[in-house]
Parts: sequence; structure tokens; C-alpha cells
Amino acid sequence: MKATIERAVLLKSLGHVQSVVERRNTIPILSNVLLEASEEGSLRLMATDLDLQVDESVSAEVSQAGATTVPAHTFFDIVRKLPEGSQVELSAADGKMQVNAGRARFNLQTLPRDDFPVIAEGDLPTRFELPAATLRQIIDKTRFAISNEETRYYLMGIFLHVADDKLKAAATDGHRLARVTVEKPEGADGMPDIIIPKKCVGELRKLLDEVEGTVEVSLSGSKVRFGLGAAVLTSKLIDGTFPDYNRVIPTANDKLLRIDPKSFMAGVDRVATIASEKTRAVKMAVDSDKVTLSVTSPENGVAVEEVPASYGSDGLEIGFNARYLMDILHEIEGDTVEVHLADAAAPTLLRESDDSPALYVLMPMRV
Amino acid sequence: MPDESAHPQRKIIHIDMDAFFASVEQRDDPSLRGRPVAVGGGHRGVVAAASYEARKFGVRSAMPSVTARRRCPDLVFVKPRFEVYRAVSQQIRAIFAHHTDLIEPLSLDEAYLDVSEDRHGLGSARAIAEDIRARIRAETGLTASAGVSYCKFIAKLASDQNKPDGTCVIPPSKGPAFVAALPVSRFHGVGPKTAQKMERLGIHTGADLAAWPLAELEARFGSSGRWYHRIARGIDDRPVRASRQRKSVSTEDTFGEDLIAHERLAEELQRIGERSWERIEKADFRGRTVTLKVKFADFTIITRSRSMAGAVGKKADFLRIGQDLLAQLMPLPKPVRLLGFGLHSPVVEEEDGPLQLGLEI
Repeated sequence: MKATIERAVLLKSLGHVQSVVERRNTIPILSNVLLEASEEGSLRLMATDLDLQVDESVSAEVSQAGATTVPAHTFFDIVRKLPEGSQVELSAADGKMQVNAGRARFNLQTLPRDDFPVIAEGDLPTRFELPAATLRQIIDKTRFAISNEETRYYLMGIFLHVADDKLKAAATDGHRLARVTVEKPEGADGMPDIIIPKKCVGELRKLLDEVEGTVEVSLSGSKVRFGLGAAVLTSKLIDGTFPDYNRVIPTANDKLLRIDPKSFMAGVDRVATIASEKTRAVKMAVDSDKVTLSVTSPENGVAVEEVPASYGSDGLEIGFNARYLMDILHEIEGDTVEVHLADAAAPTLLRESDDSPALYVLMPMRV
Repeated sequence: MPDESAHPQRKIIHIDMDAFFASVEQRDDPSLRGRPVAVGGGHRGVVAAASYEARKFGVRSAMPSVTARRRCPDLVFVKPRFEVYRAVSQQIRAIFAHHTDLIEPLSLDEAYLDVSEDRHGLGSARAIAEDIRARIRAETGLTASAGVSYCKFIAKLASDQNKPDGTCVIPPSKGPAFVAALPVSRFHGVGPKTAQKMERLGIHTGADLAAWPLAELEARFGSSGRWYHRIARGIDDRPVRASRQRKSVSTEDTFGEDLIAHERLAEELQRIGERSWERIEKADFRGRTVTLKVKFADFTIITRSRSMAGAVGKKADFLRIGQDLLAQLMPLPKPVRLLGFGLHSPVVEEEDGPLQLGLEI
């Protein structure tokens, strides 16, 4: 294999594939990136952790077609440190790959291309297209609520399903829930309910930064594939049943608070400064024209801030984890957020308005 | 002779409850008295504790239930009641606290006490040990054995000497001779594999061990060599640490032959996990990180761990996470000689802090 490629192009693409590669591997080939130069003038880069696989092609000047695999993180670090604007020459033969750029030369150990594992996609009967912007929105507004709790592995991803003739995405960690509802794309009818693992969500979001237009989504009950122009991301799905989350979305919270999400978030952030690291509980006293945020820390002292608001029901005191509250407020785009309250121990509903695509449920803290 | 120049004479007691779990069960259920009893067991389980009647048949703790049943067909299996064992453990710790604040619990049924102070002027450490044993008998209806000496290492060996319901005092002048006569396999820090290795080198007793120069022991046993050299001379300066908090509880096992098949390793992991969980419960340890250690045939070691949001409280979860960690290593690049499996990251309960409520999902 012999190919020449511009450093910036190679670096960007390696940036995508190297993060799929786990830092620690017992199987050596999984530390490697597959490089495949073809005569049509393209270099294909591929990486996998056996659950998630990224496959990307970039243009390159190929003088000899061929394929090899080299350690992904080392190769990435080398290319990162090469001078800007340099042309990188890759040539592989006899178990080594030489990397030449300017006056620098590296000889990397390779492993045979044939040993590189590829995820068998199988049949992916459901196919639809989603605007990249919609997919970005789905991810941004739900991913923070994905659980890290391994004992409930089925919560460790974004749940994607069709209901009420809409496409819905939901994530929860048992303390908060985020749901986004979008138009059902053509072709999504009859799709199986799927749970997209967190790592796939993270890699997909990174790739989406560089995509305009649409993304091709193909899926079965066990795998999903995202076609993003030059890159294809394929992932196994979480094999589990996502709980019926509609049960925890309150429908009868009759106390409505309206508040500016930006000043609300800034106030929460400020008073939380003195909260002890672990709990970060913020107390909210809700009155007719304001919310009084306060934190009392036995070690640090007291912080209080008033934020203007509009509220027409009986006064209420309720506590929240500051981090959770800020995660949600960060995703509110307009200048008002609706906070639907019931009491200090009941699920609270947050949304921009009743026709906004995103909806959040947050459980309070007992303070 | 022990080096005492730097420190005044210490008086240390090791208290060990006699067949603790089994004795509690026999105390609370008269029909079990005089019969061979094993606490634990169940399907694929292991024996957590065996009564003295069961021990006569060769039933030991950590033995698979099936083996125990084979050795003693009349064995009665009883489900462990950890809340009761914990309550009794609190009772005996209160008795210890009457004599000293320097209490280092090793598990629910075992502790080191430093009674150098002789708070109530009983005159000797033996008298304090006898007082503690009498109070334990009066308040809990159970018996304990005590080892009394000038260091932890010998106190622990001594408590085993006149078991059950006995006391053994080893004064400093008798320490080295006491150690010299014992088989090395009983020494703290000498596990089954090290004992085998020592046997091969002709080291059977403390006296054999004492004959080896430090440099030779370090060459053969690495950093442990220094410890073996000292204990063979009856020297152990480790203090009784009252504030000791366990960082982890784990169990590991070296296999008779190196293994590579997933199925075999999964079986071994299950077995080690059962034992490890018994120890976690016995130590009353609450941790949130499950750790799997794999030592390959070439002695390279890898560890894999997974952390939960809170303490791992169920055996089924612990075992499942361990199997998950193992499955993720498949296929293995080389055969495995040892697996270790345990719980890390102690969880300290916050009692009055703010409480995050959960969605009913």
C-alpha cells in the first residue's frame, strides 16, 4: 500500500475513528485502525470495539492499492504532531508501515488486515432519513439524562421508538427523564423499539457536527447504522426493554411557574457554589413574583438569590439537584421555561411550552 | 528476640468468636444444638460457617455445599441471618469498648484490641481477656477464644491455639519459640500457594523459615520476603488501628492448571465470587466498584472494574457484573493462571444529607 494524503484531512478522519478504539484492549487488533487505499483515490479508515464501528473514506493520492492496520492512538498522536500543511506519505510492506512527512519518518508495526473484525450488519429492514439538525436536537436534549448505572443497563442509552404517529426519543437515569418528539420520517413505520448505547450516541454527535443535509438511518432489532456522507457508524443496540416512561410524566401538576431560563440557571449556578461537592442540593421557595434560591452548607455557609418569576398558586418550597436542574435549563432555547409543580416530593415537569418538542421530568431532593 | 527498644511493651488481644454464625444459629434454635450445622449453602453455594460438630466431618468454611454434604450426609444447612450476626457483633464490640478504644475489627466475629493501658487495673492482659470472654458468654450466650501477646501476628496465632472457648497467652520471651514450632501454612501472609512453594524449599515450620537469610527470602519471595524474615523471629510492629476502614474485600485463586476457555473461567469466577461475597457480607463491607483481576500464564496482570452509583448490595448483581467483565475480555489472548474478584470503593452512608428522590420507573 502506498498513499499520500494531506495532514489536515487525515487528522480529522483519525479524530473520528480513534475515539471508538478503547484505550485498553486484550485483543491487539482492536487497538488498531484499518487503513485501506483503493485505486479510485480514496483512503478508508475503520475502527471498532466490536460493539461500535466507524468506517470513513477520504480522498488520497494512491499509487499502490492495499490495506493494513496500525495502532490507532499512536498513529493519531503522530499525525497530530506533524507540521500543519504537510503531505503525509504512507507505505506499508512486510509487517511495517512507514509514515513520511517533511523530514520526519516513522516505522509502525502493523497487524494483518484480514484479522480486523467487522461487525456483521445483517439485514437492516427499517430505513429512513432524518435531517442532521433534527438528530442533533434529539441527542442534545436527551443525552444528559442517560444512566451510567450498570445494574439497569437498559437505561444506558437513548430509547428511540414510534408512538402516536411520531418519532420519540427518551432517556432517563431514574432521577430525571428527557423526551423529544419529532415528525415521524417516511419509512419509520413498524420500526422496532431500539436503545442506542451511550458510546454510539457520543460518536454520532461528534460526526454530526460536520454533516449538513440528512442522515440515513437503517436499523433492525439488534443493530443500527448511520450513513453520514463519507462516514458510516454501525452499532449494536442495547438488548433490553426500556420501561414504559409515560407513567412517570405527570399530567396533573397544577402549579405553574414561568421563569427566564437563563437568569434561573445563572442563579442556580451561583448559589450552588457553596454546596458541598456531593449533594449540590438547591432549595427553591416559589412566590407570586419570584423564586428564592438558597443553599445552606454546614461547612461553607449560606447563599441566597432571588430570581423574578410569575406564579399564581399557593407558595411552595422544593429542592433540586443543581446539576440536574442546570442540565435541563441549558437545553431550553426560548426566553421562558414552564415549571409544572405538584408538591415537594412529586415529579416536576419542565418544558418551553405545550407544543415544544422537548419535555423534561425531574424528581426533587428532600432538603 | 523481638526488638522492643523503640517501643514500650504492648499488650494485644485477638478475640475470635467460636464458629460464630453456626453458634448463633444453634443458640437461637435448640433443635440445632449438638448437630452438624452449616450456615450458607443453597444451590451452587458455599459454606459460610460450620459448627464444631460439622468440622469433625471435615466440613470447612468456603467449601462448596456439595462437597460438605458428601463429607457429612447429616449436615443441616441454615440460611444466614446477617442482621442477627451484625447485632451480636455490635454487642461484643461494646464489650471491647469497655476495656479499650483501640479496637480493630477484622470482620463481624474477630478483632484485635490493644489493652496496653489496662484501663480498669485488672493487672494483666490475660485477666482482661478472661473478663471479655466471660462478658461475651453472659451477654450473648456465645463463646469466644482469645490470644494474648505482644504483637498482632502472635496474638492471632495464639487465639487459635486453645479453641474453642480458650485463652492462650504468649509472653515476649516465648514468642520466637512459639513461632518456631508452628507450620508456616498457619502464618498470616502465607497462602496455600506460598506454603506449597515453601514446602518445596524445605521450609515447613517457623524454625525452618528463621534459618533463611533475608536476602535469600527476598530473592525467592520478593517484597514479602522481608515480612517472612521478621515474623519467623516473632517481630511484628503493626499497630492496632482503631480507625481502620476497609478499602476493599476480594478473593483470588490460582488454578491448578492454566485456563483459557470462557466456560471454565466463568465456572471458576462463579466459585470465587461465591466465596468473595461471603467475605464481603462477613466484613459487612459496602462498596460500589466491582473489580476483576486476571493474571495470565506469563504473569502479566490486568484488572477491569465497573462502578455503580451506590453500593452493590445483592450477590446476584455482584456475580453478574463479574461475569460481564469476564465476558468482555473474551476471546483471551493467553491462558489465565489466576482470577481475583471483589468489591472496592467503600460507600459511606450519609444519614441526614439531602436525599434525591427517584422516578417510579
